Amino acid sequence: MKKIFYALLLSVTLIGAAIADTRYSMRVDGLACPYCAYGIEKKLNQVEGVTDIDIDLNKGLVSVIVTEGVELSEPEMEKLFDDAGFTFRSMEKETI
Amino acid sequence: MPMRKTITVATVAISALLLQSCGAFNWNQEAPYTQVMAWGEKGDQPGQFNDPTGIAVTATEVFVADARNSRIQVFDKNGNFRRSFGQDQLERPMNLSIANERLYVPDYFKDVVHVFSIDGRYLTAIESEDPFNSPAGASAFADGSLLVADTYGQRVVHVSTEGEIRNIWSGKGIWSGEFNYPTDVAISPKGGFYVADGYNDRVQQFNANGEYVRKWGGPFGLNIYGPFKGWFATVTSITVGPEGNVFVADFYNDRIQKFTSDGIYLTSFGNSSGKPGQTEIAVAVDGDGTVWTANFADNHIEKWRPKKK
Repeated sequence: MKKIFYALLLSVTLIGAAIADTRYSMRVDGLACPYCAYGIEKKLNQVEGVTDIDIDLNKGLVSVIVTEGVELSEPEMEKLFDDAGFTFRSMEKETI
Repeated sequence: MPMRKTITVATVAISALLLQSCGAFNWNQEAPYTQVMAWGEKGDQPGQFNDPTGIAVTATEVFVADARNSRIQVFDKNGNFRRSFGQDQLERPMNLSIANERLYVPDYFKDVVHVFSIDGRYLTAIESEDPFNSPAGASAFADGSLLVADTYGQRVVHVSTEGEIRNIWSGKGIWSGEFNYPTDVAISPKGGFYVADGYNDRVQQFNANGEYVRKWGGPFGLNIYGPFKGWFATVTSITVGPEGNVFVADFYNDRIQKFTSDGIYLTSFGNSSGKPGQTEIAVAVDGDGTVWTANFADNHIEKWRPKKK
């Protein structure tokens, strides 16, 4: 009985982990005003799987949440920010 | 010795010329304005805002682009909420303008300029035959054709009501007639127009034939930002007052600056926020000279009057 319980618990945990969303936190240079933030937001909204975008102008930080299975790559983000007129610096990934 | 004297005089003269061109000798030609009213806070209820980015006025009402709530809110001149509209059409409304009994709303995300009647009826969306790329400001001529500050397009476009292009001023750069994310445009009643050349930290003026006239903001108007009088740090909105004076939202300096129609500095005023972020993002002027501003960081609408002498 105990074995079944632990097996179930493990399955639930694994399934939970498998469908977890991912948050990408990116440092960007050149963010100056809402016009910048909206420009980035517009471009990120066109990326499939993006569900939430938060931009902190003062810290130069762009936080993006994507659905399970969606991966953002550094070269892809570097191009996106370059096209939007900004310089991509770094990216951190975190499962949430 | 005479040689040394000549060099000193020349140095002083050149320094004075440079300082003058940099606005260092500017002083307030007029007294600053006084804030007489403010309203608003962050939220999505009537009278609340989530990123106010544009403002326009009629004789009786104040129109606000409530960007993240994707709507236009309308108030009387005492700040009382009257109505809101546009949530079915707007995505990210920016600088507003009113002309010909119409409200013009550039949409940064949908790449069109929406046109509403003053009472909020949706009339049309003007698209350009060469598509806009994040338009942020629009100003209408008497025939309904529009000048549009196409921010990511790095250009100003004159389009007919059908979206046919009549003229384009384009090119990214710092030299005369070039732009660096233009954010707004204002038609002068004397003919010609002014462009808020956003990240070039300057204003550019064009005549009625569309020819470049002058630019101002920082040393030689060449993308050098700063806090001094007549300098800018990201220009986000521009409008022309009833006497032909030019009012400019100088976002990163938290102020509105007022100039003559020829770009001579007159005065400045604005609020800093106690919160992180900048304040004065958009400006409109009444027929009686009252100035209305959208304060971005505080989600406020502010009313300003000239100080009595």
